[in-house]
Parts: sequence; structure tokens; C-alpha cells
Amino acid sequence: MLSAISSFLNNGANIIWFVIVLPAVLGVAARLSGKRYAARLVISMLSGAVNLLFAMSLYLSEGFYVVIPFASHGLDIALNINGYSAMFLAFTAAGFLLVSLYSVVFLKGESYAGLFMLYLNISLAMINGALLSDNLGIMLFFWEGLLCTLFGMLLINNRQDPKAAVKALVLSGTADLLLMLGIIITVYQAGTPYVSQMQKLPVTGIAGIGFVCMMLGAVGKAGALPFHTWIPEAAGGAPTPFLAAFPGMLEKFLGIYLAVRIATDIYDLQPGSGMSIAVMALGTLTIIVGVAMALIQKDMKRLLAYHAVSQVGYMVLGIGTALPVGIIGGIFHMLNNTAYKSCLFMTAGSIAKQTGTTDLRKIGGLAKHMPVTAACFIISGLAIAGVPPFSGFFSKEIVFDAALESNVVFYAGALLGAFMTAVSFLKMGRAAFAGGLKLPEDANNSQEPGLIRVRESGFGLLLPMCVLAVPSILFGVANTWPLDGLVSPALGYTESFSGWPHSAVLIIISLAVLALAVCDHIYGSRKSGSAINAADHIHYAPVLRSIYTAAEKGWFDPYNWIIRIVGAWSAFCMFIERGVTWFYDVAVPGAAKGAGNLLHRIDNGSLSLYLAAAVAGVGIVVVIFLAV
Amino acid sequence: MSAMAYIAVSFLVVPLVIIIIINLIQRDFAKKICIYLAGASAAIQMASSAVEFFMLSANRLHEYRFTLLWNMEEDAEHFGVTSLSLVVMFCIGFVSFISALIALRTIDKRKIYYVNLLMTLVLGMNGMVIVTDLFSLYVFLEIVGISSFVLIALFRSETGLEGAFKYLVMSALASIFILTGLSLIFMQTGSLLYSKIGSNILIAEDGTKQTLAYVALIFLISGFAVKTGAVPFHSWLPDAHQSADTAVSILLSGIVIKVAGVYSFIVLTDLFKNVPAINTVLAILGILSIITGALLALRQTHFKRIAAYSSVSQMGYILLGLSTGSTLGLVGVVAHIFNHATFKSALFANAAALHEQTGTLDIDEMGGLQSRMPVTGFSNIAAFLSTAGIPPFAGFWSKLLIIMALWNRGFRVFAGIALFSSILTAAYYLRLQKKVFFGKLPDKYADLKEIGGTVRFAEIILTVVIIAAGVCFPLALLYLKGRGIL
Repeated sequence: MLSAISSFLNNGANIIWFVIVLPAVLGVAARLSGKRYAARLVISMLSGAVNLLFAMSLYLSEGFYVVIPFASHGLDIALNINGYSAMFLAFTAAGFLLVSLYSVVFLKGESYAGLFMLYLNISLAMINGALLSDNLGIMLFFWEGLLCTLFGMLLINNRQDPKAAVKALVLSGTADLLLMLGIIITVYQAGTPYVSQMQKLPVTGIAGIGFVCMMLGAVGKAGALPFHTWIPEAAGGAPTPFLAAFPGMLEKFLGIYLAVRIATDIYDLQPGSGMSIAVMALGTLTIIVGVAMALIQKDMKRLLAYHAVSQVGYMVLGIGTALPVGIIGGIFHMLNNTAYKSCLFMTAGSIAKQTGTTDLRKIGGLAKHMPVTAACFIISGLAIAGVPPFSGFFSKEIVFDAALESNVVFYAGALLGAFMTAVSFLKMGRAAFAGGLKLPEDANNSQEPGLIRVRESGFGLLLPMCVLAVPSILFGVANTWPLDGLVSPALGYTESFSGWPHSAVLIIISLAVLALAVCDHIYGSRKSGSAINAADHIHYAPVLRSIYTAAEKGWFDPYNWIIRIVGAWSAFCMFIERGVTWFYDVAVPGAAKGAGNLLHRIDNGSLSLYLAAAVAGVGIVVVIFLAV
Repeated sequence: MSAMAYIAVSFLVVPLVIIIIINLIQRDFAKKICIYLAGASAAIQMASSAVEFFMLSANRLHEYRFTLLWNMEEDAEHFGVTSLSLVVMFCIGFVSFISALIALRTIDKRKIYYVNLLMTLVLGMNGMVIVTDLFSLYVFLEIVGISSFVLIALFRSETGLEGAFKYLVMSALASIFILTGLSLIFMQTGSLLYSKIGSNILIAEDGTKQTLAYVALIFLISGFAVKTGAVPFHSWLPDAHQSADTAVSILLSGIVIKVAGVYSFIVLTDLFKNVPAINTVLAILGILSIITGALLALRQTHFKRIAAYSSVSQMGYILLGLSTGSTLGLVGVVAHIFNHATFKSALFANAAALHEQTGTLDIDEMGGLQSRMPVTGFSNIAAFLSTAGIPPFAGFWSKLLIIMALWNRGFRVFAGIALFSSILTAAYYLRLQKKVFFGKLPDKYADLKEIGGTVRFAEIILTVVIIAAGVCFPLALLYLKGRGIL
């Protein structure tokens, strides 16, 4: 049946209608559902399921190439369905189905639920389009479309205070601008906008600039430095499903998809080259900065948002090595990360739904009352911390392996990141779930404070969470299928990367780091007296303290830099403008008036003067005749 | 005689016949119909010049020569019409028609005098454009001048007399210049026929410069510059144009300075082709006129005086176009003559409307009249946008052609100045528009009404022509291209 569907999609423009237009149309239907929750649920599930069906059929097909002529040559809608793009299409479809279910359930009763689902479905359409586009120009169209829905979703229940939305728009917009610039350079250098026709450009000279711009745009979409700061900002006000869907999942797929394409298909990134080192450095920096900021957060959503940044670092590090093992590791890590990070965001949402807050200082001891949420959190937490045999351990080990093969510095940086990840998750897990029950005082509007019964969330929220927890275990203990059956073939590699890491030293070092993290946590919680403050001794360590203070004030935030530069630029323009205005308003009319007055005084109606002027005129004519 | 000949002769005969008719018939009846007759004569002139123009181009003739009544020499056809002179003739008819429309409203007494003089003026101007020798040109120029003095002084106001007197004195000066120049040329060539005069008379047989011929040119240029009103020979113009009745001002500003001054310059530059001194003088007079006229217009408070100084400024553009000596420049000049006729007539028609309704033309006393006189206000906006050269109004095209011609000729600085002076033009007309039509309406004008009758009709016609000419101008360019002129 799947092959029948794929051949149906391979017919004319069907793929556009059914894979790109249909989700948007169903999104409109979801918007029109209004207050009818059941209708919205059915439409959303239908959209997700149909999309998954199409994606699976495309993934299992042999792939094909569709060109639909559009506007002019060079703007043809060229869609390339091959193993690699179809794999990401399938990832997106699977993730979307779960996120969609979670969103509908989570937003039940909210006035903006329909609008949110509209944006979410349009986003799916845009992502599908971007993943399948062979034409970089058309891809950019879909890519920018995603920026619109992103802005809309952030604005959705923060219309009075759109700071996070504006910040996201500015930063993502800057990243997209860089991508656009990179695409222009690339297309110019390659002589064709079609990726499938490009002959791996060497990363030198002007093409090098194109590579840097495109790469920054791609990993910026995934959430890497320096365009990451809107994610924690958004974590404050945006609905949790947004966090699970966008920074947690869909943007990672899209960003990493393109980053790998840039490194392997469009450009010829050589292992050990300067550009490769630069990308790896960016990755390592992202890991450390992200996790270091995560460490000191006291709010679950913000903490997770910083982890969403930090985890991208591993993927960028892996891709930056330009080694097959690194790229496979990067993609595998992306796959694992989207599963556990979305799951973690969902648990945070679940807690927020029941207690009304995700502030770790106000909650605690939820494990007994929300056992399924706690279980999902623990599984995902172990995976993200890189504890064997959970999935994160294996993907990290592959990235470590690749990093070590390139340069030991990056390996050390990644290890530091792993250490802090473990520390911050120990802190968060213990603060939220362990110990006695602690709840915010005004939670659930209880009539009798202190006697609130916190219940487990409903089935609709737990189902996607549990489903997303499965890969964290499965891709760990049985990583042969995802690695050798899914990722490697899609990229055309024949080596096997599955099984336990072949280097025992690496495993031992990783385990030692984990042990160190546990020790640090115990030391920290003993010292400060509570799990929530277990990282305070790092936060307030002599040098780090001032760095953290500066970071919290936003000194390192490129958004603030941009805003300050923009401010200075406008002040400069204002200065110029004043001068110009003075010139127009004072100098020119003044000069004109003055000259007019002078002439008027001469032109005083005296006939003799007029005659004198005429004679002077004759003089002028004579002079000119003599001169010429 | 062929149809072309009849039409050509009619340019001189029709005004004469009108003069004879209104002076022969019974006086009270003549008072009633004389202005209508003048309008009819103007309409006939428009029609016949248009017909003649298309006949000329249908026969692929450059010039059509004809005689009138008498023959001084055997087989000598001393009159001729060209496409250019027919366009000028059409403009004469058009402005006379508008003047008659305004006169119906503004002139109550001495109607017969007005029509007599108007017809004499038209006869003089028509004569200027159809003659083929410099002395006849001078004779008709004097006819134009004398009719103008009397028309200005006709209504016996004190300022009118002063303006007429200044014009008279300055014209006398111009006559001296022109006559001296002509006699010097006659000394050289023994003939004043266009066909006998050319750049060759500037060079003596031994190859040296013929000084007397150059002196003649200096006198001729100075004399024509007085007639054109170019700076610094302009000083009579605002007084004369301001003090006359508005129906007369339309004639003076709209057509007389262009036929008496600019057309003479066209003849001069046509005869003396490629004389760098003439081109430079015209360019410098043009730039001086543009800037001085605009700066002085910026300072005035009398509606008609602003329009008069604007004429000085616009004559500057025309002289600049002539200074290029190229066909493109000449086309720009002719287009600007037509456009200036339309928008300056519109401005004076508005002045007539304002004067009739408010009793004053001091713009400081006006304000907010747009709500009371919307037709006049809109007509004024169209006229000033056309003057400032804003697309798609007609003035844009002619200015564009002139500036392009200047650029091609190598007068790049002049082109730039001409371009930026449009801002000054816009400035003084915006000031006018703002003071008269925008802002607060003074209480005394609370129950003011829009003008009706022929003045409103004239305003509407002129606005339509300004916009239509602007929109259709590319067609005219295509026509010229089709005839191989451009």
C-alpha cells in the first residue's frame, strides 16, 4: 500500500498538494474548529497521521525527483525525495504527530488553541517544503515561512509583552539573513541553485564566506550560538507545546538537516581543515555556554531551554569533524535529543499544568503524585546526562570518538559539557521529584491551601511523553537499527557504528565524569543544604560569579549587542537627519529668502535702475562674446 | 490658390476682418458680440493651424511659402509656415481663446477697444511667425509691443499706466537695440531675408572675425532679451503683467513674451547656427533668469506678481533649451512654450477667479479657499505641479527634454542647476498654494462661492489640457520620431 501511495505522490504536482498544502489546509480546519475540542483533536490527529503515512511511504520508496515549473527559470519548484530527505521527513512526521497530540490536549480550553494548531500545521507544511526542496531559493522561501509561524506562536498569548517574540524574530531573522546571503554566494559560486547539481564546492575564498554564512544560518535555526538567546527568553511565556515542538524538535531537524547537507553535499568540508576546526569550536562553545547557563537556572523550562541550546553543540561538533563517524554521531544525537528533549519539555508542561508553575523553588516531591511524569523525566534525564545504556550515552560516545580523532581540546570541552549536564539534571530531578511534597501556595486555586491533591496528568499528555521516552531506552540498548539501518544508509555510509563504543578508555572516562558529577552534586547539596541550590558553589565560585552576573545581565547576549548597535546607528542617523533637516529647514530657505530680499531691494521699481540693469545686461553679453 | 494657401492667408486676414466688422456694425450690438467674435477668431486660428499642420506633414513639406495681396518682387513669396510656426500659431489661438473667456467676465467697459487691440496683437504675433525676413519681423514685433502697451494702460488704473510706461521705455530700448543690430547686419549683407543671413557673415573674406556682425548680434540678443524678459532685462515684466487686467495678463505672460522674445531667439539661433557665443549667452541668461525669477517669486505677496516672476523663471528654461542648439532642445523649447501657455493661462485664470470672488489678489489676505473654491484650487495645483515639472503633468516632459538636451550638449552643470531649480519652483508655488487655498478661512470669506461661467469653464479646460498633454506627451514624441525629427 505504501508503494501505491508513493507512486501516487510521484504523479505531477501531487506531492505539493498532499505533503505541503494539505497540512496547511488542515491547519485552517483546526483553526475553524473554534471551541470544539473533539473536532480539533480529530483534525490534528488526521493531519499528523496522514502526514506520517505519506512520509513513511516516501521514505520506503526508491526516491524520485519532481520539477514543477514556476515563475521563471531558476525558480522551479524542484523537490528531491531521496533517502536522506525522506528520513528527515519521516522523523518530522513522527515527532509532529506526538507534539500535535500533546498540543491539542495541553491547550484544551485555551482561546488560542485553534490559532496555535494553525501555526503548527503551517510550520509542518513549511518544514516539509524546506526538507524536500532541491532548489535553495525555494528552500529559503519555506525556511522564512517558518520564521513567520515562529513569530506568530510566540506572540500568541503574549501580545501585551512581545519582547520574546521580537527577540526571536530579530535573532532568527538575522540567522536567516545570513543563510540568505550564504545561499546567494553559494548559488553564484556553484552556478546553479539545485543542490543535486552542485559539485561539492571547496571551502575557500568567497565560497568560504558562503559556507560560513549558510552554516551559521543552519545551526542558528537548530539553536546553536550565537543566535540562541531567544530560546530561554521564550521559555518564560510561550506555551509549553511550543517549546516541545520548536526548540525541542522541529527546528533541530531542519537545522541539522541543512547543516549536514552543507557539510557533505554543497561544500566539500575536509576533516582537519580550518573551517572544520571553526565549526567544531562553535559546537564546543555552544555546549559549554549553553550548559553553563543551564546550570544556574531555577526554572525547569528555562533550564531545559538552555539544554536545548547546549545539546545542539554536540551535533554541530559531530558534523564539524567532517568525518563519517562524526556526522553519523551528530545525526544520531539529534534523533535521540529530539526524543528526550521533547519528552523533558512535555514533563515540564505536565508539571506546569498540575501545579501552575515550573519554578523549582516552589515545587518538590512530585514523584509520588505524578509517577508516570517522573518516570519519563528520569528516563529522559538519564539519556541526556549520557548514562549507559540510555540512548544519549551512545550518541555522545560517537561524537566524543570523532572529536578525539580531530583534536583533544574539543573532546575535553565536550566532556566538561557532559559533566555540567549531569550536574544540572541531578539538581533538577532531585529538586522537582524527590523529597517531601512542596507546592506553590496559590496552586490550583485550592480552597484549602496545603491540602491540594496533585494528580497525574491525563492520558492525552502522558501518551506522547511515554512514546518519546521509548527511544531513549530502545536506541540505547538496541542501537544497531537506528545507526546501521536508518542513519548510515541514508547518508550512503557502509561502515557500522553500532554497538558499544570500541574504545574502553572512552567509556571509562565518561563514567568517571558521571561519577564526578554525582560527587559534586552531593557536595553541593550538602554545602547549600538543598538539592535546588546544589550548583550554587559553581555559580558563586570566585571568577565564575562575575561571569555569570554579566551573563545574566545580558552582556553576552548578541540580541543586546544588535539592539545597542541599532540604537547607536539610529542615534548617528538622527544626528545626520538633524543636520539635513537644519539644512532644509533653516539653511536653504534662509539663503533663498536672503537672496530674494536682496534682489527685491534692487528691484525697487525705479525705471532708471531698470535701464541701468538692462545696460549692465548688454555689458554681460559683450563680456561673454569677448570671452567665448 | 490651394487650400493650404487659403488657410495660411487666413492667419492674417481673419483678425483684420474681425477688426473691420466690429468697427463697422452698430456700436451697442458690437459691444455685445465683440468678445464672442474674438473667441471665434481664436478658435478658427486653433483649428486652421491644426489643419495646416497636418496638411504640411501629410505633404511631407518642411516649409510652405505663400504671398499675401502684394508682391514686392516678381515671384517672391515672402511668407512661410513651418511645423514649428504652426505650433506657435496654435498656442497664440489657444491663449487668445482663454483670454476671451476670461474677458467675458472681467472686462465690463471698453470691450471694443479690448477686442480691437487683441486682434491687432494676434495679427502682430501671427505676422512675426510667418515672415521670412528680419525687418518684417521687427515691424510685427513693434505691432505686438504697441498693442501690448495700450492693452495694459487701457483700463486707466494708476499702476496700469505705470506698468505700461515702464514697458514702453524698456521696449523703446529694445527697439533701439534691434534696429541698430538690423542695420549693422544690413550693412554686411545688403539684405535681411532669412535666406541671405547665416553664420558665414560673421567671418570676413580674409578669415578674421567680422566685428560689426558680432556687435549686431550683441544688440539683437539684448533687444530680444528685453522682449523675453530674461534677467537682467526683466524688470519691466512683473510691473506690466501685474498691473494689466487679468485677461490681458494671460496674453502677455501666456504668449506675448514667447512670441516677441523667444520666437525671435528661435529665428536668431536658426540663422546663426553653432555660434558658441550665442549659445553661452543664452545659457547664462537662462540660468540667471531661472534662479533670479524663482528667488524673487518666493518673496512676493501678489498672486499675479508671483506668476509674472514665475514667467521670468520659465523663460530661463526656454532659453536654456535654445542654448543647446540641438533638435532635441528645440523640441523641448516648443513643448515648453505650449506647456507654459497652458499652465500660466491656468494660473492667471485662477487669479481672475480669485480677484472676482474676493476682490483682492494679496495672498496674505487669503487662506483656506480650497473648501470654498475647489475647482480653482485643483486647477491651481495642476498648474503648479506642471510648472514644477512633476510627472505626469505636461511640464515634466518639456523640462525633461530640455535637461536631456543640455546634458547631451555638455552643459552638465546647467542641467544640474535647471534640475534643482525645480525645487525652487515647487517652493514658491507651494507657498502660494498654502497661503491661498490651505489653512484657515478668514471670516470675511465665509460665504464665498466658487466662480462660475466662462472663467470656471476656462479653468476646467486648462486643467484637462495640462493633464491630458502630460499623459499623451509620449504620443507626441512618437509622432516626432515617426517624422524623423527626433
